[in-house]
Amino acid sequence: MSIDISKMRNIGISAHIDSGKTTLSERILFYCNKIHAIHEVRGKDGVGAVMDNMELERERGITIQSASTQVQWKDYTINVIDTPGHVDFTIEVERSLRVLDGAILVLCSVGGVQSQSITVDRQLKRYHVPRIAFINKCDRTGANPLKVRMQLREKLGLNAYMMQLPIGLEDKIEGVVDLVTMKAVYFEGESGTEIRIAEIPAHLVADAKKYREELVDAASMFSDDLAEAFLEGAETEDMIHAAIRKGTLAEQFVPVFLGSAYKNKGIQNMLDGVTRYLPDPTEVKNIALDLDKNEEQVVLSCDEKSPTVALGFKLEDGKYGQLTYVRIYQGAIKKGDELYNTRAHKRFKVGRLVRMNSATMEDINEGVPGDIVALFGIECASGDTFCGGGLNYAMSSMFVPNPVIDLSITPKDKKSSDQMAKALNRFTKEDPTFHCYVDPESNQTIIQGMGELHLEVYVERMKREYNCEVETGKPQVAYREAITQRADFNYTHKKQTGGSGQYGRVAGFIEPMEDKDYEFVDAIKGGSIPNEFIPSCDKGFKESLKKGALIGFPIVGLRATINDGASHPVDSSDIAFQLAAIGGFREAYLKAKPAILEPIMKVSVEGPQEFQGNIFGLINQRRGIILSSTEDDSFTRVDAEVPLSEMFGFSTILRSSTQGKAEYSMEFARYGKVPNSVADTLIKEYEAKRRAEQK
Amino acid sequence: MVKQDLIERSPVRNFEKSLGGGVKAGEIGVIVSKKGLGKTSILVQLGIDKLLQGSSVVHVSFNQQADHVMTWYEDIFNELAKKKNLDKAAEVKAELVSKRIVLNFNQDSVKTVQVIKTIKALAEGGSKPEAVIIDGFDFSKANPESMDQMKTFAKDMKINIWYSANVEVADKGLPVALKPFEKDLDVVLYLEPKTDCIQIKALKEHNKGDYMTDLKLDVKTLLIADK
Repeated sequence: MSIDISKMRNIGISAHIDSGKTTLSERILFYCNKIHAIHEVRGKDGVGAVMDNMELERERGITIQSASTQVQWKDYTINVIDTPGHVDFTIEVERSLRVLDGAILVLCSVGGVQSQSITVDRQLKRYHVPRIAFINKCDRTGANPLKVRMQLREKLGLNAYMMQLPIGLEDKIEGVVDLVTMKAVYFEGESGTEIRIAEIPAHLVADAKKYREELVDAASMFSDDLAEAFLEGAETEDMIHAAIRKGTLAEQFVPVFLGSAYKNKGIQNMLDGVTRYLPDPTEVKNIALDLDKNEEQVVLSCDEKSPTVALGFKLEDGKYGQLTYVRIYQGAIKKGDELYNTRAHKRFKVGRLVRMNSATMEDINEGVPGDIVALFGIECASGDTFCGGGLNYAMSSMFVPNPVIDLSITPKDKKSSDQMAKALNRFTKEDPTFHCYVDPESNQTIIQGMGELHLEVYVERMKREYNCEVETGKPQVAYREAITQRADFNYTHKKQTGGSGQYGRVAGFIEPMEDKDYEFVDAIKGGSIPNEFIPSCDKGFKESLKKGALIGFPIVGLRATINDGASHPVDSSDIAFQLAAIGGFREAYLKAKPAILEPIMKVSVEGPQEFQGNIFGLINQRRGIILSSTEDDSFTRVDAEVPLSEMFGFSTILRSSTQGKAEYSMEFARYGKVPNSVADTLIKEYEAKRRAEQK
Repeated sequence: MVKQDLIERSPVRNFEKSLGGGVKAGEIGVIVSKKGLGKTSILVQLGIDKLLQGSSVVHVSFNQQADHVMTWYEDIFNELAKKKNLDKAAEVKAELVSKRIVLNFNQDSVKTVQVIKTIKALAEGGSKPEAVIIDGFDFSKANPESMDQMKTFAKDMKINIWYSANVEVADKGLPVALKPFEKDLDVVLYLEPKTDCIQIKALKEHNKGDYMTDLKLDVKTLLIADK
């Protein structure tokens, strides 16, 4: 089967939690005839929405992992990538964004642009994803799509224009006025499948004219033909579509659709919008890095005949073994092809090739450029690039934030302990923001991630999917240490008691550095330290950075320079210079006035105005700095920076002090210096812990 | 230059001297002019001056998003730091940011009472400001009672308040739009465009009125010029 690439769309659905994204995905599947009955997210009928294919997601009513599903709309092929809404899983969102060509930004007609919509929109901007907006839940009390449109402009700075007007709102929503065709569209029948086109109701004619004029006027910015025709009143539908498409692809225009997924209103028109205005894979410029040419940028061509370049963006461990979701950027993937994993430097053969329709799958023989397919049984990690034809490319590396929170876990019994290793192995492969290691001192397994909820979900998944019960410790913030001024050292390591001796002298200085975590500078002149031992010094410093003297956390932002030293013809060795560097570092570290750094989060709290005082109070109690507060009618949004260590249990406290009406989102902002009083406590705790261990 | 010098040699010192001490605690000042002459710039310079001295500042904006306001501070601070070659600029900046709170309101739906309530809530939460800056307030939509409330609030809380207003100015005396508020306003300044600079005229200064000051804005940077 050959697919016309210009009729293919890879889209994602991005939204604030609870704006009805999963329901919308479900309806898209329904109208595209992939599923036969409509299910609700929470699974009233026990089946549940198809996209949320993990049990846990079903239980919590949220979507955690993105699944890609292919559907047919008219003669178009659409791959829908369901993206998670919760901010703690942003790596999942960002990874999906990498493979999307366009997105539907879903907004609630009542809530409008909420804190997470802002985060999600920022991510879309970062990856240059063109988008259309869909204002959902127009059946809810208080629905006001025109207000949401204004928020899109004011809060997100998008050049948003209504493509439709609602006919009736709240429980009276019947259909929409299409401002391009200037017809009313009604969605009738049990599931809204029967579309009836009629004249615009008389009371909406004036508004429709006004908004159409606004729309066409804005669209004509992107097409001279349309601008001319518009002046003469001779614009055609095709001209309008073409101009809007051009503006949307350039990320300078956002067409706004509206409806209600739950009430089956407006979905079909939005799908037309997807096929009309969002790009096909050939219209998106994708760049890979050539690993053979020092990561030089290469533009990929969406051509079947070129050598294959594909990205494995998601792994899933199903009943049948490991499944890897792959986006093909260039060339094709055929059954039996040999591909090269450029990260692992391994060749592998493509065995079974499938296309995923959410929980069901379909065997195929070939994947074309631009398509999203799944491979079976490939040993790889997510984010790996697969190449054919002797290429050695990597898709540009995705921005991966460092984990900011640690949690110790201990298996409850022997069986769990075997399973735990398996589970952790898979999670770390799937999610680059999830790390784990065994702490050599306490011998405990530590998992690290982006937030409390992020780690909680993995603990839950261990229990459910691996039958592995663990006890968790108290979440621990990932502190860092850093020096604040330059300090010199001059250290001699000497050991000459029995056997072969050790001798090395290292002199130089350490100083704070921005941007990078560590740099080693060799400023030795005249060979006072023999060349062969220079890397030993580097090694010694690196070793020292692993554990700071204040509270035992890694040291960052430090440059170590060596400028003098001495050696002994017999007793100098690799280990002697390593130890000399460690000694020198120890000598200088406290003189360099080290400080403790902690992760500071950008927190955005949103709620009804009456709770504003409480929100301010909560932030102030948490050593937070209020950056700004925006008020509008009855809603208020407070943006603040709060240390992560103070954010534990915030959701519970926020809920209880605002009657559950406020919500928040948070993301890592930067590392900041811990105030002295807190630093003193941390240092005392660390010393007490060390003393206890020594006993 | 260190921070202390920056405060002492700031053109704001001269600004205050020329205006009978400027706007003191419990007082209200207004800067009026046409668009684009530097109202926001002066407000931000006054804000930064307060912040440098370690005071907390609340910047209320009716017409700009919080992000834009922050960019204003960032740009003006960078300009000042560069011009005066400030030591440890990044550190000083971080300190300023931690003492500044930006509030963003929509004047159509948020009344003065609400603004006062919000600032009080902040004060109760532990971030009491010493200066409040209100940019983009439309006096033609406000009523005189709201200014009375603001004045009482300023006196009770011992804070100084600077407004900006985009209004037409008559040849002499206060602009018509400000007349109803006259008794609550302690200082009213007008930015008068000249060929090579923008000169500050005092339309009202405590008990004095209508005189040209020697204060100027640099047309390029919109910073208050050094003497």
